[in-house]
Amino acid sequence: MSNAFIRFVSRILVVCMIGMPFSVQAGLVGTGEAVSAAQAQVARDAVLRVIDRAEIAQQLQTLGLSPQAAKDRVNALTDSEVAQLAGRIASAPAGADGSGVVLLILIVALVWWLWK
Amino acid sequence: MALEIAPASRGIQKARARAGFLFALLAAAAAAPLSGCVSLPQTEGLRAAAPAGLPARTELLDVAFHQQDDFLCGPAALAMAFDAAGVAATIASLTPLVYLPGRQGSLQAEMLGATRRHGLVAYTPPPRLESVLREVASGTPVVVLLNLGIRLVPLWHYAVLVGYDLEAGHVVLRSGDAPRKVVPIGFFEYLWQDSGYWAMLALAPGRVPPSAREPEFAAAVAALERAGRVRESRASYRALLERWPQSLGGLVGLGNAEYALGKRAAAERAFRRATLAHPDSAPAFNNLAHVLGELGRHAEAEAAARSAVALGGPTLAQAQKTLAEILARRASRP
Repeated sequence: MSNAFIRFVSRILVVCMIGMPFSVQAGLVGTGEAVSAAQAQVARDAVLRVIDRAEIAQQLQTLGLSPQAAKDRVNALTDSEVAQLAGRIASAPAGADGSGVVLLILIVALVWWLWK
Repeated sequence: MALEIAPASRGIQKARARAGFLFALLAAAAAAPLSGCVSLPQTEGLRAAAPAGLPARTELLDVAFHQQDDFLCGPAALAMAFDAAGVAATIASLTPLVYLPGRQGSLQAEMLGATRRHGLVAYTPPPRLESVLREVASGTPVVVLLNLGIRLVPLWHYAVLVGYDLEAGHVVLRSGDAPRKVVPIGFFEYLWQDSGYWAMLALAPGRVPPSAREPEFAAAVAALERAGRVRESRASYRALLERWPQSLGGLVGLGNAEYALGKRAAAERAFRRATLAHPDSAPAFNNLAHVLGELGRHAEAEAAARSAVALGGPTLAQAQKTLAEILARRASRP
């Protein structure tokens, strides 16, 4: 079996396992969609969106979250936030330490000193 | 400059910080000849002309300080913002919702998500110094993402903007282990610019911030609704509609929230207002048709569904499905 096939099957399985709670109420068009329906580029496939969410949840797990926590967290994001995060979860800014201020002052001082 | 030295943290982190410092020094030395002058357009704009109607100084003294431990500035900043919005939270309760162990930090999107999970609207104001100062002036502390490193070696950090003084030329932050850090406005802009001037507000349901713009704020409320906090989103849709009575997001959102809360008659009123204000919106007609169908008003439902189908657009498939359901219902119970 090819790698691509295994990837495809596992994606489907992931969607089946954790994607379902992400689906929206049937019958009504969701508010987000209603607002963005005017913009043509947002006409993305609903299935793709679910796969995006499942992938982000999976990546969050590899970064140390439990499956349930990852699912709950992804569920609180919008489609566009999920799309922005897809593929850059390892490089997106992650706010952390505040003690770097001292370091920054030294760097700024150094930059200014070199510049003058 | 009134910036305090942070107390020493654990040994490993000290070593890491020292290694990072050396690297950053080298990188800064390498980058310095390449960089041009430090440009602070927003600070210069503020200096040139004080924004109309903005008080010269404000400080939100009531915003409780949550002192962060290592890497936990995200939970700490959120706890302060949530307190101010009337939702009790602690660093311990928020860490499992935003902190990402593999990144030793908190992602911006998750800061917004955790806000929604507490029933608050997460709104990112326009990336302007003036916008965030206006928010502080109106009583809302603003979470900002700062780069305490340099562009090549970023050290991302969340802090909470709680005050400013235009005459003295400084802002006041709650940050890390400093409950009141006073920073010159220009330096604040310098720290803030690498994040694309990213900021966020945690807003109690029903509150519309002064810097809000209609489509962005409607989207922020829709995100709260989508995250399952429907009751809170309904209060914010109503407030949104008081400011922008014609808002498509506000009207469809209010209808969807009412429907999710089991209030079909109220949902129908909201969707009908949406179709009257936006006769070109297929989702408005689709949702109106769906509710009318459930209310047993089949003739009206069919007319609305046909309008939705005729308007087409990306939601055409849903409209066709709604029309088919209504026709089937009419056929079974004429």
